[in-house]
Amino acid sequence: MLTQWSRFRSSLFPGALVSILLLSFASLLFFILFISQDDARVTQFDPRVWSLLKFTLYQAFLSTLLSVLVGIILAWSLAHQSHFKGRSLLVALFSSSLVLPTLIVVFGLIGIYGRNGWINQLSLYLFDYSFGSYLYGLVGILVAHVYLNASFASRSLLHIFESIPKEKYKLAKSLNFTTFQRFLYVEWPALRPTLLSIASTIFLLCFTSFAIVLVLGGSPAYNTLEVAIYEAVKLDFDIAMALKLALIQLAVTTLLVVFSSNFRTNLTNLKTSSTHIPWSEAKHIKQIQMAIISLFALFFISPLVVIIIDGIGADFGKVVSETLFIKSFFTSIIIATVSSILTVIFAVLLSDTKRNFTLKNRLEDNKFSKLLNIIVSFLGNLYLAIPSLIMGLGFFLLSQRYEAPLVVWSTIALLTANILMSLPFALSVLSPAMQKTAQRYDKLIFSLNLSKLQRWVYCEYPYLKSSLGYVFALSFCFSLGDLGIIALFGSDDFSTLPWYLYQLMGSYRTSDAAGVALILLAITLSVFILLPRLFRGTDAKHN
Amino acid sequence: MLNITDLKYEYKNADEVYKYSMSVKPKEIVAILGQSGSGKSTLLDLIAGFLDASSGSIQLDENDLTNETVEKRPITILFQSHNLFEHLTVQKNILLGVNKVLKENIEDVNKVQAILKEVGLEKYEHTLASSLSGGQQQRVALARVLMRREPILLLDEPFTGLDVETRVQMLDLVKKITIENNLHTIMVTHDIQDCERIANRVYRVQNHTLIEQ
Repeated sequence: MLTQWSRFRSSLFPGALVSILLLSFASLLFFILFISQDDARVTQFDPRVWSLLKFTLYQAFLSTLLSVLVGIILAWSLAHQSHFKGRSLLVALFSSSLVLPTLIVVFGLIGIYGRNGWINQLSLYLFDYSFGSYLYGLVGILVAHVYLNASFASRSLLHIFESIPKEKYKLAKSLNFTTFQRFLYVEWPALRPTLLSIASTIFLLCFTSFAIVLVLGGSPAYNTLEVAIYEAVKLDFDIAMALKLALIQLAVTTLLVVFSSNFRTNLTNLKTSSTHIPWSEAKHIKQIQMAIISLFALFFISPLVVIIIDGIGADFGKVVSETLFIKSFFTSIIIATVSSILTVIFAVLLSDTKRNFTLKNRLEDNKFSKLLNIIVSFLGNLYLAIPSLIMGLGFFLLSQRYEAPLVVWSTIALLTANILMSLPFALSVLSPAMQKTAQRYDKLIFSLNLSKLQRWVYCEYPYLKSSLGYVFALSFCFSLGDLGIIALFGSDDFSTLPWYLYQLMGSYRTSDAAGVALILLAITLSVFILLPRLFRGTDAKHN
Repeated sequence: MLNITDLKYEYKNADEVYKYSMSVKPKEIVAILGQSGSGKSTLLDLIAGFLDASSGSIQLDENDLTNETVEKRPITILFQSHNLFEHLTVQKNILLGVNKVLKENIEDVNKVQAILKEVGLEKYEHTLASSLSGGQQQRVALARVLMRREPILLLDEPFTGLDVETRVQMLDLVKKITIENNLHTIMVTHDIQDCERIANRVYRVQNHTLIEQ
């Protein structure tokens, strides 16, 4: 066994180092949060905190329920309608919901459903009636969460539908199943094992949702813990209250992560498939499926169209010449690039270490392997338990204790948060791919006595190229659109594009905001859709 | 008698035309041999109705099946895998062949019991399909064939991957079922020993055309 450990030493150490780094960071964060709670109020659980917790759980529960329901119906429709024009573009767009900066989604939704949005304007024109500002409050939060998460759920579930063996459909058809029986006996059993994992991921995302609640919450009655932490730090400067809320949030998210039993994030690569299911639908079912797809496509695309149309109308000369825009733009791009590179490196090292503990011909049989695998997985998924605003609060408290220029703390905080935010998704893409490569080529590579570098150049890289491109793009977009940490550290000296956009929206400079939103949307979609395609062209394939 | 006459099929974006003509008598097992990708399974998909032929006809006695939908064709098909719903019990998997709402009536349940005895699985009625071995799963699938009593049985390499002993048992069971129930059985295989053991006649797909050996 000792020789086994020494054989895989080179792939154990780098990942172990990253794990220790992550563990140290988590410990430091907990330490700073706990030593800062010197106010007696921290331990008091007043009614305001209780109502915040209740509403946070309530909105997350409703958002998850609606998102999963819509996701299932949409994925079912897309799976059975695989041949209409523009399908692959539509599926690619739905996949991009995961990386769309939440603030520009909110901006687009306001453009459609807001007081002066398209729906109210159309209603005023046709019936001389306005629905008012119904978007602010629980409705707006739910609409935005369903917008982002139903499309994410549908993309993951579509992959499951497409993975159902064709024989199962043929068998069901030859047994004369109805559409409902087909769903009950063939499709539901395939979906069910993944649903809990998808639902818990969505619940966590909605539980820690920040930008959506900040802008659409409207009043304190619709505040969540995350927004209350922000307001306590930034507006009231009530650090004791912020700490109390952060500790409650941390306790709940940790429980959720532990109870969701595994840390999978259900992310599939962007590759869209039009696998043909051997079952031609009855005409009325086909019509229902196409209606569902069209309605959701309209719901999904219309806010993006608003951003494009309003953005085109903006005075770009003025927008891009503003000093704060230039500062924000370059800060965003530099931080996103650096954090994406680091995310890719960390994810590769962690996946390389993790596969030692799960492969039979490596160290799977060792009694510590299971435990080590869980520890590495948990550390890679730290973000799911420690939301970025709490990380931000930790860094904020550190910056209060240890003096350094704000820009230094801000940069470190942003980089750390962005890496931790992207790691769970990066690992869910890279880890299975690296596991597969090792499974197939370990024996060959060991028999040829290839060095670590040769292994990487001749075997790993050619197979992982497209996944690496995808992870880089994903991480870049996450970083580019995040409004979590920057909300605590943002100032005129240190700003990113989302923070700058939020400032513009807050000061009612709608036209300039539309221009910035369009620039953010263009960068995000170009990077997310085009970058992985550049890598995919020459990718080697597993047979 | 099952008659397949000048049946043709063209895959989209491919130049090859697959041509099939054959006949199968009641109680007869006809084997189809051929290399991977030669078009053996395409023939089964055409007979079952999963693919639409570009021309030709499929007739069972006086009935023309060519334009019938899958569910209206009197066929049971067995694949190499995925013949069962793993989350259901053996009994429910068999009942699904005739009773989609799975409402247990005494008559059907008794019938399932008798059939399970016939295929040697009488103790497994309430076992989940997922906990059966590969050979046992295929026996359950054959039990469903008996429950359905459809006159055409299509076998798409269903015993590939089973150990030799189980494989021989399964082949003998197919032969018995075919004879006792007057079935028209078509078996796609690439194993010449399977053909020798149970097939009455053998066809081979060569250059996309079915030729009797």
